[in-house]
Amino acid sequence: MSDLDTKSMRNGNRKLDGGVQSLVSRIQVPRASARMVIILLVTFAVFAVLRPSVFLNPLNLQNIGVAAPEIGLLSLAITIAMLTGGIDLSIVAIANASAITVSTLYTAISASSGEATAESLAIVIILAGVAVGAALGAVNGVLISVVGITPILTTLGTMQLFNGLALVFTGGVTISGAPSLLPEIGRATLAGVPMLFVVLILVAIALSVLIDRTPLGRKIQLQGANPVAARYSGISQRKTLMLTYIASGVLGGIAGLLFLSRNPSASADYGSSYILLAIVIAVLGGTNPNGGFATVTGVVLAALTLQVVSSGFTALRLSAYEYAIAQGVLLVAVLVFDQISFRRRKKPPLPTTETAAIAVENRGKDRTRP
Amino acid sequence: MELLRRLRGANNEGVLLAVIIVVVVAMALASPAFFTAGTFFALVRSSLVPLVFALGVLLVLISGGIDVSFPAIAIFAAYTTVAWSTEASFDPTIVGIFAIALVIGAALGALNGVVIARFRLPTLIVTLGTQGVFQGILLAYIGSTYIAASRMPQSVNDASGALLVDIPGAGFLHAMLIPVVLIVVGVWWMLRYTTFGRSIFAIGGDTEAARRVGIKVVRTQVLLYVLVGALAAIGGVISVILGRNANPQTLVGTELDIIAAVVLGGASIFGGRGSVVGTVLGVLLVQLINNNLVLLGIPSTWQRAAVGILLIAGVSVQAIATARARRHPKAMLEEELVKA
Repeated sequence: MSDLDTKSMRNGNRKLDGGVQSLVSRIQVPRASARMVIILLVTFAVFAVLRPSVFLNPLNLQNIGVAAPEIGLLSLAITIAMLTGGIDLSIVAIANASAITVSTLYTAISASSGEATAESLAIVIILAGVAVGAALGAVNGVLISVVGITPILTTLGTMQLFNGLALVFTGGVTISGAPSLLPEIGRATLAGVPMLFVVLILVAIALSVLIDRTPLGRKIQLQGANPVAARYSGISQRKTLMLTYIASGVLGGIAGLLFLSRNPSASADYGSSYILLAIVIAVLGGTNPNGGFATVTGVVLAALTLQVVSSGFTALRLSAYEYAIAQGVLLVAVLVFDQISFRRRKKPPLPTTETAAIAVENRGKDRTRP
Repeated sequence: MELLRRLRGANNEGVLLAVIIVVVVAMALASPAFFTAGTFFALVRSSLVPLVFALGVLLVLISGGIDVSFPAIAIFAAYTTVAWSTEASFDPTIVGIFAIALVIGAALGALNGVVIARFRLPTLIVTLGTQGVFQGILLAYIGSTYIAASRMPQSVNDASGALLVDIPGAGFLHAMLIPVVLIVVGVWWMLRYTTFGRSIFAIGGDTEAARRVGIKVVRTQVLLYVLVGALAAIGGVISVILGRNANPQTLVGTELDIIAAVVLGGASIFGGRGSVVGTVLGVLLVQLINNNLVLLGIPSTWQRAAVGILLIAGVSVQAIATARARRHPKAMLEEELVKA
């Protein structure tokens, strides 16, 4: 083996070590989730004390459980993209495409072969919606991993494209109709807990198993923590990114099904404000937007927290606008808090002009020292 | 080769211009109605507000950030100014309206800048947060009602009716073109000839290197976001003037479309690259498609998809070129040297 090879291998090893180290140092999983639990409990307690009659009403609590899952799933879809250091801005467009597919297929089948046939094919139709999500996720995956476009640009473009195609397909109007299975799930409860919330928990468990217990999950995490180290350890970047965005698309597709479960109609414009909210939730839940670190529990808790704040604000007769302020303040406050505590933990500060000057001075002093 | 390279431009402006020419020719061939003053005036009119916003987005992109709060700042500044003037029944003239909005916009921009630069936070996430805060404060505490032209200050209504060229039956060219052109030239001059402008490029290219050559990164970034806030405010006032109403619910939600136009114009999302010429062409191309796709026999519902396809095609070309540069660094370096 030539000298150069050993050197490059050693370099690779060092980078890998750095990556693993930073991965280890980022094991704040309990920290981020614990913080979210505290925030959730505090917000819940505040509203429960301020307006117990309205807020603690079982109906209100059920509403939280019904409203949180769709935004929770979209946030998880963004979380997995952020885990690799990317982002998926097209996720709401993908969810709508899935909902439109299911609605259209159902309407078409019941028009041609009767409603009974359409109902009996409900599972197939629903799977078709998820498949559309996976396919659109694969489009993102190809553009990101094969063509090599930055995720944010890719998904900015595909967001426009998917949304545009949905507009073309629907002609810009809301279409209605869905297999009755979906609204049934939307209304059902399991021991008082809305079925939709159970769906969110099941998907979240599946996702955290994928991230923490499978080789693919490890690869996704390493890809985000240190792409160079990932490449040196023989991980196919192309495959990892491809699968990540397909997974993100599948989650979006399931979110589209939840749209239909709450309201059996679909349109290209549904939930246009969701994309930014989903990013807020992902980051609040402890996802590092630069990649490498995320916790599914934290994101689910963050989705719940924002829904609690939303319904708490309604109970206090505060407006949706004040809710928007709270979202923004919460997001910036958490970021600032993280940054300050991160700086405190990290010993050598980034060299600014001042510290660099001091360092130069000190070096001079060292030399004069006997 | 040399000539071709120069025609292509540093950020593929030439390619973009060629695409625009192809689209224009196709539209002209498809419909004789295309080559009229009316079409042209409508194109200019619909480009005015996006262009002002796009220049702000361009500055942020060059510095290596992404700002999604500018529409919130724009409508906050414009609506607050108009609502105050209406309520106080005091008309500060159109210059006064612009000045007040500008101060408000600059203050909100400063808030962005301080949070981003002081704590070194990701710009997209911070501006996402401040977007919610700005819009929430506007709608919750300042006003959520639509102000119609009949209730707006006289000076704003006068500005709405001020036309530069008026061809009866064919359309008109709005007077707001003048301030927009001045802003375009001003930003171009600033980016090219001032220390501040060059500092923005330096920070976007490599923040650490910029710091080491003595650029005051924090101060430049704060100043940049102040400027971007002021630009957004001007865009907001112009949109109120052109729209003949002040609606606090508008503008927010258009941010990603504007960013798409700027990226189409060749600005790099990683910072350090971008040009005013490219941005102007990018905005014009998007508006050209939005306004006139119907002339090509394509239904208007295709607008969004068409812009998406263009954007993906544009960034694909860039990505492939970058990948090629990585594989053949020497050849590309020589090309760069020839260019310089």
